[in-house]
Amino acid sequence: MRLTLQMLISHGRVARKMGLGPQSRINMLRNILTGLVRHERIETTRVRADEVRFYAEKLIDYAKKGDIDEKAMKMANFWLTEKDLVPKLFKVLAPRFEPHSNSYTRMVRIPNRHNLDRAKMAVLEYKGNPFPPLYPVKKDCELSLINQLLKGYREEREQQLAAKLQSQLK
Amino acid sequence: MATRTVCRVLPRRFASAAAVVRPLTAEVRSQRNAVFSREQARQRALYPRIEKIEVSMQGPGLDGTLLIMNRGMSTPLSCARHLTEHHVTNSALALVDGEPWPLHQPLTRSCSLTLLTFKSSDPTLVNQAYWRSCATLLGQVLETAFKDNFTVDLLSVPEVPVTSGAFCCDVVLDPQLDSWTPSEETLRSLTRAALQLIHKDLAWEPLEVTPSVALEVFSHSRCKQEEVEEKAAQNPKGTVTLYRCGDHVLLSAGPLVARTGLCSQYEVMAIHNLGQGPWGLHRRVQGLSLPLQLKGHHTVWRKLRQRAEKLVEVQRLEEATPPTPPPESTPPPESTPPDSTPPPTSQ
Repeated sequence: MRLTLQMLISHGRVARKMGLGPQSRINMLRNILTGLVRHERIETTRVRADEVRFYAEKLIDYAKKGDIDEKAMKMANFWLTEKDLVPKLFKVLAPRFEPHSNSYTRMVRIPNRHNLDRAKMAVLEYKGNPFPPLYPVKKDCELSLINQLLKGYREEREQQLAAKLQSQLK
Repeated sequence: MATRTVCRVLPRRFASAAAVVRPLTAEVRSQRNAVFSREQARQRALYPRIEKIEVSMQGPGLDGTLLIMNRGMSTPLSCARHLTEHHVTNSALALVDGEPWPLHQPLTRSCSLTLLTFKSSDPTLVNQAYWRSCATLLGQVLETAFKDNFTVDLLSVPEVPVTSGAFCCDVVLDPQLDSWTPSEETLRSLTRAALQLIHKDLAWEPLEVTPSVALEVFSHSRCKQEEVEEKAAQNPKGTVTLYRCGDHVLLSAGPLVARTGLCSQYEVMAIHNLGQGPWGLHRRVQGLSLPLQLKGHHTVWRKLRQRAEKLVEVQRLEEATPPTPPPESTPPPESTPPDSTPPPTSQ
């Protein structure tokens, strides 16, 4: 479990141990990240989602440098195992996150996997995707009956307070 | 013995004499009901053959739904019955081609239909209709609340915006009751009567009629007749809309919500004197209500109740309407300042 990066490093564990070894871990994360870039919302175990999230954000940071940047292209080439996604990264995702400086992804816990091993699961997505929202959208219901009644109440209160202040000033 | 017979005969005499002047409330109600039922049956008989109309539904999750309904027979409520139970229980008002339409009024043409609830994106129309409905419900309670020997005349329901904090219903009570001041217990019993009506879950059945029928319905009440004439003059089609709730027939300025069961919290808050008017001592009865879909927390409810006890002024709306003023019926509430409870002698 990673609380903060500092906490993780201070305890001597820079990354989680996943898969069959360091190389296997990197390959697994590459595959997941490729899936994330392709589908923009994926469902995976919570640990893997949390681990890949860091790389997903970092990849967008590199992509923002533009496709003529050598380092950015190298990174995209390494992390995206399916090469048809490289243009998508530079042409779609980078312009989408141009106004934002961080937190391009959203992770949401979902119920444990129940058919296989009851692993803790999560959904990882790039923000601004075309899918229905993960959380219900809060409706603005200022015009509903009870809110209108309360609005009238508030206005009357303000008038009363203003009148009271004026009378005190005189 | 002689005195006893006199005692027995005299009240009867007076009672019969009074009955000549004014029939019993129950008789008036049954007469109004009979006229209403007759007119309703006549209007239904206008469509002897079943003709089909196409109703395209609009709303969240309903786009593209097309219902084939019966002309002059199917109401927006029967369209809702083809959808889900949520639509049936929560719809308060319908929009037919963008116009507010009572839920129990039959559809007469192919149209687009939107069902409105209290939680719609823009519930302003529903709020107004709800406020109006609560006021008419209050009138219905007041009409039956008194004993038969006290007359109750309901004046036109003033249109107050929801933000004013309380709906109100203007009423003229029997002259014998002019000095009567209602107590807390009175308000509580009125509230209880209203809650019983809400529990019965009665529908407000609309009926668009010509003024002549409306005048026949209200043949016992002079002030209602004037209201009918005024409303018919204002309406471009020259018709007025009557509503029936249980056995109470009323005249409404606009559409009402579907049924009384939509109210959840309902309380009669205050009775204010408005001074002498053309029909006698005007009183304004105020209440507060919240629908079943939007229940209030008790702290919120308490604050709203405190506000609803204050007298609601309707001056602004009446200033807007004077182009077609009935010379006597509307001005009095505003012409006498509401605080001056003793009847002004100048009128």
